[in-house]
Amino acid sequence: MVERPPRLAEWVLTRALGDEDAARSILGDVAEDFAAMLRRRGVGVARLWYWKEALALTGSALLGRVRGRPLTRVTTEGGSTVREAVSTIGMLQDARYALRATRKDLVFFAFATAIIGLGVGASTAVFSVMSPLLLQPLPFEQPDRLAVIALSDAEGAGLSAVTSRTSNVRDFREMSRSFESIGGFNAFFEQGTYNLAGVGEPERLLGVDVTQNFLDVLGVRPLLGRNFVAEEGVWDGRPAILLTHGFWARRFASDAGVVGTALTINGVPTEVVGVLPPTFDFSSVFTPASRVDFLRPWPIADETDNWGNTTTMIGRLTAGATIESAQAELESIVQSLQEANPNRWGLAAAVSGLQEKIARPFRSAMLLLAAAAAGVMLIVCVNLSNMLLARSPRRRREMAVRRTLGATRGRLIRQLLIESTFVSMSGALVGVAVAAGAIRFVTRTTGLEIPMLSSVSIDAWALTFTVGVAVLAGFAVGIIPALQVAEGGEAEALSSASRGSSGGVRARRLREGLVVAEVATACVLLVFGGLVMKSFQRLMDVDLGFEPAGAQAWRLNPTRSFEALADIAGYYEGIVAAVEALPGVRGVGLTDALPLGRNRTWGTRVVGKTYGEDDPTESIFPHIVDYRYTAAMGIDLVEGRTFDSGDTGDNTPVILVNETAAERMFGGDALGKAIRMWFGEAEVVGVVEDVKHESLDVSGTNEVYFLITQAWSFNSLDMIVRSDLPPATLRASVSAAIRGEDALMPVDETWTLDSTVAESVSPRRFTLQLLGAFAASALLLAALGIYGVLSYSVTERVPEIGIRMALGESASEVMRHVVGKTLTLATVGVVIGSGAALAGTRLISSLLYGVEPTDPPTFVTMVAVLLVVSALSGLIPSIRAARIDSAGALRSAT
Amino acid sequence: MARIGEFELLVLLAILRQADSPYANRIREDLESNAGRKVTRGALYRTLDRLAGKGLIEWELEPSGTPERGGHPMRRLALTEEGVESVRASHEVLMRFFDGLDPVFR
Repeated sequence: MVERPPRLAEWVLTRALGDEDAARSILGDVAEDFAAMLRRRGVGVARLWYWKEALALTGSALLGRVRGRPLTRVTTEGGSTVREAVSTIGMLQDARYALRATRKDLVFFAFATAIIGLGVGASTAVFSVMSPLLLQPLPFEQPDRLAVIALSDAEGAGLSAVTSRTSNVRDFREMSRSFESIGGFNAFFEQGTYNLAGVGEPERLLGVDVTQNFLDVLGVRPLLGRNFVAEEGVWDGRPAILLTHGFWARRFASDAGVVGTALTINGVPTEVVGVLPPTFDFSSVFTPASRVDFLRPWPIADETDNWGNTTTMIGRLTAGATIESAQAELESIVQSLQEANPNRWGLAAAVSGLQEKIARPFRSAMLLLAAAAAGVMLIVCVNLSNMLLARSPRRRREMAVRRTLGATRGRLIRQLLIESTFVSMSGALVGVAVAAGAIRFVTRTTGLEIPMLSSVSIDAWALTFTVGVAVLAGFAVGIIPALQVAEGGEAEALSSASRGSSGGVRARRLREGLVVAEVATACVLLVFGGLVMKSFQRLMDVDLGFEPAGAQAWRLNPTRSFEALADIAGYYEGIVAAVEALPGVRGVGLTDALPLGRNRTWGTRVVGKTYGEDDPTESIFPHIVDYRYTAAMGIDLVEGRTFDSGDTGDNTPVILVNETAAERMFGGDALGKAIRMWFGEAEVVGVVEDVKHESLDVSGTNEVYFLITQAWSFNSLDMIVRSDLPPATLRASVSAAIRGEDALMPVDETWTLDSTVAESVSPRRFTLQLLGAFAASALLLAALGIYGVLSYSVTERVPEIGIRMALGESASEVMRHVVGKTLTLATVGVVIGSGAALAGTRLISSLLYGVEPTDPPTFVTMVAVLLVVSALSGLIPSIRAARIDSAGALRSAT
Repeated sequence: MARIGEFELLVLLAILRQADSPYANRIREDLESNAGRKVTRGALYRTLDRLAGKGLIEWELEPSGTPERGGHPMRRLALTEEGVESVRASHEVLMRFFDGLDPVFR
């Protein structure tokens, strides 16, 4: 399918250019460059680019027409009637007039443009980010029929928490009638190590293991080549891979010739059987913030089944089946399987829609941000209305003059509409730039664990909608002066305007009401922002159970294979010893699962504990570590001992358990007890404190530490190095030490534990930053609104204040009066806003950690901030009021 | 004869240089990569329109060459005799003024 330019942008451009031959050729030129951009930079960038070009050209064409310097000659042949000609001239005159009006009132114009830009940009950006995740269907065939079959439906961190054994895939496929097909992928694919050698620079690749039918389940067809076939999908089958589009473009410069050739991966010639289409971005959908270079077959076999709960199962429902019916059917299948084999573990099924499953963890945050953006947009519209209202008496006079000179009512309205549109449109241009910048920032921020980010682009509907709202708000208010005059009030308008009088009590009430609305909205945003900030702080203060500061990790990928466990242990021991000997290194340790990274579950049973028939196995989070790991990580021992160098493969297997496991599995008395593993019984020798393994806000899983020398069940290991040296210095010396042991080992995969912690809170930080920005804009706009209304009301009441001062009122009393007025407006706004924030706590409570949604300190602080800012913004007008020269004021009043 | 500015002269020359495919996009690429100028689309089209208005260039409509153009036609640009004449005149003026100034630029 050829990707077309964004339809809305093309439409706008067509309207601006007209349909002359030359204009159509311009459309073609832009389309041609769009296609080139599409090839080079992908759909997202190309669509953004087209929008930018289209808006620039539209502006250029419209401006050119007004100035009499068109982009394409308007051919006059073909019966354009006199009326049309006159109307066009009038339109041009009005447009020129509007341009002149904005030039005369540049401050108003610039400010209006800026705030509309802010509102449109913020709303569009937020809506564009949430749209692919929450609103648009996933980029698969009939995506509403795709479902995830998880082990349990518990709230978890992403898709990897829902994995099953491959025997479940096998049996569900065979027995279920609700699913047309069932496939899946190995959720722990990142543990695999693939070194590409032979063509160009050696490189470590990331490959995902997917079932042979995975692409068929999703309804994705390879762009080039073919899908995996049966002899590739079995255990020890013919090696084959499918390249992702991104990797194909990056490494092979999109050369179609690579299909059918063999790449040497881990020393094994592996056939490239095909290339995936650009629309299928595996990591964006299933594993955000990670990279995927290729897919390889994941056999549904006894061998993979032995690896435990590995597979994220995805099924396509048959036509007519629902999530509920599929759930009911799988439950009965699970029951019959369990009856047939009571010892079988890890047998359960919880069905949920794929999109629902992917989007669920983000829904509340996204909705909150959308509501916040709408709040900012609301304030923008209110502010705009207020500014236009304040201008309205002056405009009324101008309208009256033009009316007496013979302008028709329609003409006046049209002129005002053109002005409003002009302001809204220039605001919209700024908004597009703001949104484009924001989206660029978000999509380029690596490590942001939000799915579907790669398909984010400016959402045309969101843009149209928000611009439409701004235009309507401008129309609704901007047209008032014209209507007032049109009702035959020229004389009155002229005479009252000459005295600089206000638009009357009604207009003032309206303006004040608008300010109250602004303050209330700002109050809600500030309170929510404050709550999210406090919750984030609480989260960052959580006791991690390990010490991230000063620790750096290296992924170690041996370049050779080993025959026996002792060989591997010796190999790693050599590296660790070399690194330990470096000056400035305080501790070194090895593990196969660092905190806040991989997630997995093993099943086990405690020796000597009696289990009922229906009791499930105890599930544990295993860590395979060396004896120095707990010390290097700063994990405290609670009782017993830690591992030591005497715990080798020749001795009885020993383990450490965390406090939660000691309590839950052993009833608080773990030392000396044992669990049963496939390699024998392992005895608990120590209890260590809990570590936040899954995420900062999840605690209380059973964790068990095994020794590398006793449990051979890891693919690659991470090395932790604790040191006070600067990271760059450390990196250089550790890399050299590793290379000294294994000259071919890639050493570029290294990161600090601080960055791991930061990444794990990235969605929360993202929400916090956006909400903070919205709340700050809201506060600023509300302050400007208050300032505008008060300084306007001071100006219009100059005569009144003059009289009062002449009658003996002091300057400080006048000031107090104005500031008092400000605080009255602000207080009403704050009361309404606090009420709304309390009512809205349901929206935000699921996003908070360690903070009540009604947290009184946050409410009080934010209300105080708002009141202080309001008082400050009323201060300047109040000082001006106090400086009024009563004599002059009285003179002007007469 | 119509007077032309520097940018107009560059555009006319670019059309002549692109004799094989004298289309707006190629002209723009030539100006951007060989004249070291950032040429916005609006500026180029406006200049083309102005040059046509002065009678220095003309164009013919060709059907869309590739599917990427979305069915929109292409303008094949060409200099009129008067256009060629104005380029020649500009060239002569430039040569006259450069004449004897070699030492300055060496």
